[in-house]
Amino acid sequence: MTEILNQMAANPFWFHECFLMSMPLGKKVVNLRELLDNLREVDESVLFYHLIQSRLLLDQPAAEYPNDFALWAAHALQDTRLAEKLSSFDPFEYQTLGEVRQAVVDILEEYLWDLPFVPWARPGFEFHFCQASVVVMHSLISAHNLKEFCSALTRVGLDSIYYHFFEARWRLGELKSDDFSFWIETNFDLPTLVEDIRSIDVYFYTLKEVRASLVGLIHQHLGELCDHPE
Amino acid sequence: MITLNDYTPIVGEEVVSQLYRLAERLKGRRFVHINSTAVGGGVAEMLARAIPLLNQLGLETTWEVIMGDPFFFEVTKAFHNGLQGFRVQLTPSMLEHYRQVNLENAKRFAWEADVVMVHDPQPASLIEVLRPQARRWVWRCHVDVSRPHLPVWRFLRKIVRQYDASVFSMPQFAQNLPHPQYLIHPSIDPLSEKNRELTEKEIQTVLYRLGIEKDKPLILQISRFDSFKNPVGVIQAFRLVRRHTPCKLVLAGGEATDDPEGPAILAQVQEAAHGDPDIQVLLLPPDAHHEVNALQRAADLIVQKSTREGFGLTVTEAMWKGKPVIGGAVGGIVLQLRDYHTGFLVQSPEGCAFRIRYLLHRPQLAHRMGQMAREFVRLHFLITRHLRDYLTLLILQANPDRRLVEF
Repeated sequence: MTEILNQMAANPFWFHECFLMSMPLGKKVVNLRELLDNLREVDESVLFYHLIQSRLLLDQPAAEYPNDFALWAAHALQDTRLAEKLSSFDPFEYQTLGEVRQAVVDILEEYLWDLPFVPWARPGFEFHFCQASVVVMHSLISAHNLKEFCSALTRVGLDSIYYHFFEARWRLGELKSDDFSFWIETNFDLPTLVEDIRSIDVYFYTLKEVRASLVGLIHQHLGELCDHPE
Repeated sequence: MITLNDYTPIVGEEVVSQLYRLAERLKGRRFVHINSTAVGGGVAEMLARAIPLLNQLGLETTWEVIMGDPFFFEVTKAFHNGLQGFRVQLTPSMLEHYRQVNLENAKRFAWEADVVMVHDPQPASLIEVLRPQARRWVWRCHVDVSRPHLPVWRFLRKIVRQYDASVFSMPQFAQNLPHPQYLIHPSIDPLSEKNRELTEKEIQTVLYRLGIEKDKPLILQISRFDSFKNPVGVIQAFRLVRRHTPCKLVLAGGEATDDPEGPAILAQVQEAAHGDPDIQVLLLPPDAHHEVNALQRAADLIVQKSTREGFGLTVTEAMWKGKPVIGGAVGGIVLQLRDYHTGFLVQSPEGCAFRIRYLLHRPQLAHRMGQMAREFVRLHFLITRHLRDYLTLLILQANPDRRLVEF
C-alpha cells in the first residue's frame, strides 16, 4: 500500500477549469409529438445539455426529476407517468450519445403509441432547446501521485469536477468513463478503485456530492490520504 | 472602495481567483455598456456594481447612458410593454422619433470598443450608426419577451438581427435570430447598500423614519409602480389574508427616469389602498437602497406578484436576506422559487393569499425555506457569477466560430 501511495504517475494529472455558457436556440416545441420529432434531429450537444449540463448549471435544491425532459413532462404536460419513465432512464448506461438519443426516442415513441391523444404543454410551458458553449482553462493545480490527487480534489472548483467527471464522458466519446478513473487506470494498478469510481450512480448527485463520493472512495481504498471536503 | 477580494468570505477564494485567471486572457480589452438610465431599475443597479469590478479585473470597461425627451421614453415604454405582450400601437412618427433620438445620441459617442453590450430596446438602434466603432455588438435583453406583440418585435427584430449575438435572461425569451444567443441570469451584489448586512438598530431606524409600526406580521412587495408588477393584485391578496390573520402590507417602489407610466399606476394603487390603516404605500427615491434593504430585512414575508417579469431581482434580494418569497409564476421568478423549498409560485391573488396564510402559520418552515433560498442565491445569483459570465462571453466573442475554446 505504501508503495502505491508514493508511486509517481507517469503523467501528472492537470486539473482544468470549465465555464459553461447556455445558448438557447430560439426553437421550441409545444407537444410530445414535436419533442419526439425534434429529438431525432437535434445536435448531440442539445441532447447532452438537457440530460446532463442543465442540471449541473443550476443546481436546484431537491429537483424532483433528474433531466429537463422529465421535468417538462411533469410540469408542462402534467404527465407524471411519463416523467417517471424519463427519470428512471440513465444516460450513463449507454456507450455513446447516439445510443442515448435512440433510447430517449424509443421511450417517447412507445409512450405515444399507446396514447389516444398527443399531450400538449400548457401555454407558456413550451420546451425550449438549448446547447452550451464551453471555455476550458488549465488550472494551476496538478497531481503527481495519489496523495496529491486526493488533496487537489478537495481544493479545485466544482467546475473542475464537472469538467473531468461529466464533460469528459462526451469528450472521450465513452459515457462510462471519466478523466479521474482513466488517469488512475493508466498510471496505477488499482482496478477495483477504477471500477468503483465508474460505478458511482452520478445521475442523482450534485457536484458537491460527486466530489465527496470520489474522496470517500479514495479513503476507502487507500486510507485517509487527505481531508474530507466541506 | 469595494474590491473583488471583499467577496472572498461570501463566495469562497476559488471563485474570486478564478475571475482573475479568466480575466488575464482579456487584459486591456475595451468593453462598453450602453443603457438608458443611470439610476432606477435593475439594469442600472447591476451596471453600477459590475463596471468598477470589471475594471479591477483589467478590462477597460465604460458605461454610457443615452438621453431622450419624454416622447422618446413614451415610445420606448411602448416597446417595453409590447415586448412583454401588450397590444400597443406604434405610429410611424413614434418609430422615426426613436431612431432620431438614437442618432443624436450616437453623435456624442466617440468610444471605440472590442465588445459593446447594448441593454434593452431603448439604445438598440445605435448599431445602425455606430457599427464600425466596435468589433462585436451584443444586444442584452432584460425584459420578458416570451410572447411579444408581433408588430413591436417585427420592428425591433430588424435592428436586433444586425447584432453579432444576443443575451437573454431565460431560454423562453430567446427568438429566431441569425446569430448566437446566450443565457445570462442577472445578479445582485451582496456588498451593495441594498444587500449588505444591517444591524437591528439600522433596521429599526428606517422603520421609524418611514412610519412603519411593526405590531403585526409584515408583508412586503418592493417594485416600481408598474402594471406588470400587479400591485393592485397584491392588495387584493392581502385583504383575503386579513379576513383570517392580522397582518400589515407595505408596497414600496422607486421611480425610474425611463418609465413615464409610474405616476398613473401609483395613483391607482393609492386609490385601492385608500383608508386602510394596515396598508402603506411608499414612493421611494431611486437611490433609497438602504431603506429597501431595511424593509426587506424587517418583513416576515415578501411577495412579488408580477404578471410578466424579466427576472425578478427583488425576489433574489429577498431570498438573499433569508426570507420566504411568494412570486407570480412568470419569467425568471419560476427559476428562482421552488414550491416548499425556496418559496412559492402562485397564479392568482387567491393563490397568493393562500400561500401567505400558509407561511404565516408555519414560521419554522418559512425560516427553513428562507435559509435554502439564501444558499441558492449564493451559488447562482451573486455578482461574481455574473462577472464570470461576462468574461466567458467575451472569450467566446473573441472566437466567434467556436463553441469550445481551450487555453
